[in-house]
Formats: sequence, C-alpha cells, structure tokens
Amino acid sequence: MDMDFSPEDLAFQKEVRAFLDDKLNARLREGAANTPSVFTEPDITREWQAILAEKGWLATSWPVEDGGPGWTPTQKYIFEKECAIAGAPSLPILGLRLVGPVICRFGTPEQKARFLPRIISGEDYWCQGYSEPGAGSDLAAVKTRAERVGDKYIVNGSKIWTTHAHHANWIFALVRTDPSVQKQRGISFLLIPMEQPGVSVSPIVTMANDHEVNATFFDNAETPADNLIGEEGQGWTIAKFLLENERGGSCAAPALLAKLDRIERWAREEASGTNGSMIHDPNISQRLARLRLEAQAFEVTELRILAELAKGRPAGPQTSLVKLTSSNLRQQIDELAVDLFGYDGLQLPVTRPLYGNEAPEFVGSRAAQLSMPAYLNGRAYTIFGGSDEVQKTIIAKQVLGL
Amino acid sequence: MNFDLDENQELFKAAVERFCQGQDVAARRAARALPGGIDRARWQELAELGLIGLAAGEDDGGMGGSHGDLAVVAQALGHAQAVEPWLECGFLPARLLAGSAHLESVISGEKIAAFAFAEPGRRFVLEASGVKAKGGKLSGTKQFVLGGGAADLFVVTAEEDGKTVLHVVDAKAPEVEVRPYPVADGGVAAIVTFHNAAAEGPLAAALPAAIDEARLMAAAEMVGLAQRLFADTLEYIKTREQFGQPIGRFQVLQHRMVDAYARVESVQSAVLRALLQPGAPMAAIKAHVAENAIWVAHQAVQLHGGMGMSDELGVGHGLKRIVLLSKLFGDPASDILDYARAA
Repeated sequence: MDMDFSPEDLAFQKEVRAFLDDKLNARLREGAANTPSVFTEPDITREWQAILAEKGWLATSWPVEDGGPGWTPTQKYIFEKECAIAGAPSLPILGLRLVGPVICRFGTPEQKARFLPRIISGEDYWCQGYSEPGAGSDLAAVKTRAERVGDKYIVNGSKIWTTHAHHANWIFALVRTDPSVQKQRGISFLLIPMEQPGVSVSPIVTMANDHEVNATFFDNAETPADNLIGEEGQGWTIAKFLLENERGGSCAAPALLAKLDRIERWAREEASGTNGSMIHDPNISQRLARLRLEAQAFEVTELRILAELAKGRPAGPQTSLVKLTSSNLRQQIDELAVDLFGYDGLQLPVTRPLYGNEAPEFVGSRAAQLSMPAYLNGRAYTIFGGSDEVQKTIIAKQVLGL
Repeated sequence: MNFDLDENQELFKAAVERFCQGQDVAARRAARALPGGIDRARWQELAELGLIGLAAGEDDGGMGGSHGDLAVVAQALGHAQAVEPWLECGFLPARLLAGSAHLESVISGEKIAAFAFAEPGRRFVLEASGVKAKGGKLSGTKQFVLGGGAADLFVVTAEEDGKTVLHVVDAKAPEVEVRPYPVADGGVAAIVTFHNAAAEGPLAAALPAAIDEARLMAAAEMVGLAQRLFADTLEYIKTREQFGQPIGRFQVLQHRMVDAYARVESVQSAVLRALLQPGAPMAAIKAHVAENAIWVAHQAVQLHGGMGMSDELGVGHGLKRIVLLSKLFGDPASDILDYARAA
C-alpha cells in the first residue's frame, strides 16, 4: 500500500505546473479568485478554455477518440489538483463535464461530430434543463412535454435553476415524450437550441445578489428529431449517468485545501483588534485545523475512489459520499471566511463582477468583500445536483443496503 | 410566576404587526432601494406609533418602556421581517442620547441618527482609539455605521483623555465624509471620516449598559426572525409535494423540524431569562440565541430547496438579518469565549 505517484506521474505534475505558471495570466487569476458564485462567468472561462483547448487539455473526461487527452484517472487528479493550487478558473462544466460525456457515451457518430468539436471550441455554451418547479429532488416528475411531429419535437413547459441559461445557445433537457407509461420510462434526453422564439429565459437573483440561475420557458419550441440522445424513454438512464458524473467526476479536495490555505493567509493578515492577527484567535485557528484535518482525510477518500477507477472498477454510488462531504466542507469553509473578517465580512456587494475595472469598492479587503456572497451562494451546495437528503437516501439504500 | 405579555405589551406587539402588514418582499425591496436604504415616511410612521420614544425615558419626553416592552417590539419586528432599522437607528440613539437636546428630533422621527462605534482593524473592540475628540472636534474614521447612508446625526464613540466617550456630530457637516456601502441584510452602512468635525459631548449615557441592552434587543429580534422562518418552513413542507406526497411526510424532515422547534423554544426561553433574571450575561445569551437562530435559518433555506436561495423569498432575507445581528457588538465565538473566561 502506498500513496505515491509514479515517476511518470511526477513528470506529468511538473509539466502541468510549468504550463499553469506560464499560461495563467493576472486577469484569469483575479477573475477566478474573485468570483463568489458557484460558476465562473464566461468572460473569464472562455479565455481559459481556449488556452486549454489549444494544449489539448480541455475535455479531460472524454475518450481520446472524441477529443480527450487520454489521461489516466491519476493524471486527471494531478491536473485538477494543480489547477486548484494555482487558482485557475473553473470551466463551463455544463458542456465539458455534463453533456459532453453523455454525447460521447450515448450519441450517434453524427451527433458526436456535430456537437463535440463545438463544445471544445467554445462555439456552443450549454445549460442544463433538469429541475422544474414541480420536480426538484423528485426529478422523475418532470412534466416538460416534447411531442414528435414529423422530423422534429415540439417542446412545451418550463425548467428552473437553469445555470447560465442567459449565456447559453443550447440546453440539454429531460423531457416527457410518453405521458402514458411509468414516470421514469416516459422521459427522454433532448438537445434544444436556445436561440428561437419559443424559448425565453427569465433571471432568478439569489440572496447573494448574484444572477447565475434562471427560469427557462418553452412555448412551442422546436428541435430537430435527430437532437434526441439515445432512444425515446432512455432519458432517466442517461440522467443518472450524468448525475453520477456531476457528483463524483471531479476532484473536490484540492480546491478545498487550497481555500483553507488562503484563509490561513488572510487570518495572518487580519487584525484581531486586541492581540496581533486572527491566526491566534482560538476559534478561528481551531476551526481551521479541524477543517483541514477533515479535508485531508477527504482527499484520501477521493484518492481511494481514484485508485478503484484506475483499476477499471466502477465508481458507483459512493460518489454520493463525495458530493455529501464536499458540499458540507465547502459550507463550513465559507462560514469560517465570513467569521474571520468580523464586520468586514458583513458587506454584501449588489453589483458584479468583483474583478476588473467595474468591481465595486471594498471595505477592508477584496477577500472580505467576497466572503459574504460566497457563503450565501454556498448554501446551494447542499441543494443542487441532488440535495443532501437525496444523497443520504442513495447511500442508505445502495451502499448500506437499508 | 407568569410569562404572559401584559396589556401594554400586547398593544405594542399589535402596533408593530399593523405597521408591518403588507410589507412583503417587493415592499421591502422598494424601501431598501431608496437613498440611504431607509423609507423616511415609514420611519416617521414608526416614530409616531411611539416605538422610538418607548426606548427613551419619561424625563426625556419618551415613554420609558421597560426592557420587556422593548424586547416585545424587537421580537415583533423580527417576526415581521421589518426592514426599518429600529434597533440601530431607533433604540440605540434613544438610549445613547439620554439627556441630550437632540433626543426630541430622534424620537419624533424628524431626524435619523446612526451609531458610529466600529473602527477599521479593531474588530469587535468597543474602546475607541481611531477617532479622537479634542476641544469639541472629532477626527478619525469609523466603519460599519449601520443606517449611515441615511443619517442626519451620528452618535460617535471617541477617545478623549484616554477614555471612550460619546459625541454627537451633524452628518451633513462639510467636515464629515460619508461613504455608504451595502451590507448583508440589504441595508446601507457607511464608512464615516471626521476631519476635525464639530462635536457635542461627551454625552451622559453609560455606554456599556446601552450596548448590553442592544445585545438583548438583537437577541429578541433574532428570536422573532427564527420563529418566522420556522413557521414559514413548516407551512412550506406541508404544501410542497415531491414523490407524490408533501415533503413534510418524510421522517428525516419531521425530525429536522423537531430539532428546529426545540431550538426556537430554547432561544425564546433564553431571552426571557435575560429579561427576568437580574445580571444575566447578555453577550453570552445573545451568542446562544445567534448560534441557534443561524442553524434554524440554514435549515429554512435547505428545506425550501432552490426557492430558499432566491431573493424572491423572505427566507434568505431572514438568514441575512440573523447573520448581521449575530455579529453586532461581538460574534458568538468571541462572546462565548469571554463568558467562559469570566466564569
């Protein structure tokens, strides 16, 4: 038993570090660091995406034949970890990590040829149409109707929490193609162009004052029938594949540990008002220590899953544990940051972005200004992508056999 | 033994409820969008109901309300999720301006006063050092001045001859520089810099006592907020259906709500203890209330799901107000540590 990287992996790590050092410019670093919402905005991610695409390091979870770099799970992990340490921006994951792998796995050769290159080039920006007002945790209750008429589908209904729908030109959606059968069996996975009269998007501003999510409405929207992924009625199987990818497909611990390192730096700079810096504050330093121990243990949990994947064994339902642990850790880390900054942690900017020339003035520091919106946005971690309660039910049933 | 509200307290509670009737998310947002974040007509109305004067002594032209009377008002304002900063710009100035000629215009609602106590780099320390008073003039910078964007007057803590004293400064004086910024509860705070600004003082009010009273009022407001979030969440899980039934039918959520119920009862009891037991540790009680109220608010967001994240619902507003109050004059961690050390 060991946790060491092979000499090849270490060489790869060195290559990644040199690349990040070279390519991550100040604008990208600032944009990544100063984004309190869950997803980085396209003005930052597009630039980073183009740099990675040129290097061939973009679609890391795709098969080689579809444009992936052909990395082992360990290499993927090293890349994610180095990106987190370097403070690289996140990527438009809705295309790259969610619908991309679905098209690789379930798409026809024609669909792959049409959609995959445009995800990599950034020509298409995707959003996800899963939840509906009446179908949140109970995703199989989706009502949005897609009716086959000749060589196209006519779509009616609405989706909610559609992240970045206001930036997207495509949506992948769970739609009901057959209302007459058992609810999971009547669902299909459909790709729908956003730029048409039948699709409208209305913003939902969060309590953090961020506009990240939307409500998306379909009123006789159309999409060609060959934009159906898989077969009619196969949507639920595809959705589960995608959600397991979303829940466990990425490496969360390195980013959490990097955030804790940043908080430690801020604590050293933050005045306690009485006794030097906040790093000596017993509450802050103990919470920092506890969270670090938990995040370090979590990193090994992720590495254990990684080792299974590297041996070709499937990840399965323990990805729910990854989602559960990482969301709770993130929330505690974000709370710690708010608490670190005292009164400065209570400022809540009303405009975005918080980077570049348009950023509003901060009180104390930019890190302090970011802490409250990050904490408020972070309350969504235990809600989206399957709530904590849903994850626990999955673990209870599928892992514990209860 | 009797924990019922008395006749007057029932009237104060009813007055607050009437005042807040129809103040939905849209109305609250409209008020917040006004310059300085305060609707002056509503503020005037609040004053005319006697709710600011309640905090001032009868000798000063106020109504001389008891701590119990005032806590009833604070809790009712919390329960109604009122946006009017009664605690910051009503209660506190009314206490701090005791015996001052400025009190009358504050009680009448004609002028809005804000309390400037926090200093950059000094966290929760209440002793002033960044703002100094000398020969009737103030110099230095305060921050986190709640209501500072709308204020006509500042009540300022300042160092004078090695002691922390209170002065009053005209907010519109040219030597006073006000930089407003938005804070978590949707209100407007300010960084205020005094450039040798004319000040009246020192005031007679005892600062530590007034701060402890404000902690009690903050705790009472958090109790009202927690009760409101609890009630709204209970209603929501009874009506929100998933998997073919109200989500309140799921045992995991039932037990979560029982935990929330226990915490709501605990914080109500804690505030009653603070009111009824002489010498109760206000900062520590406020910390207990804050920690439990934050837990309840987090669950309110969680159980509302995505809707709980939206600014269209009062749930997030409640969480944000609780978080702000939880740190006013000290956060739970620092207050509990002080309490442990004092024991």
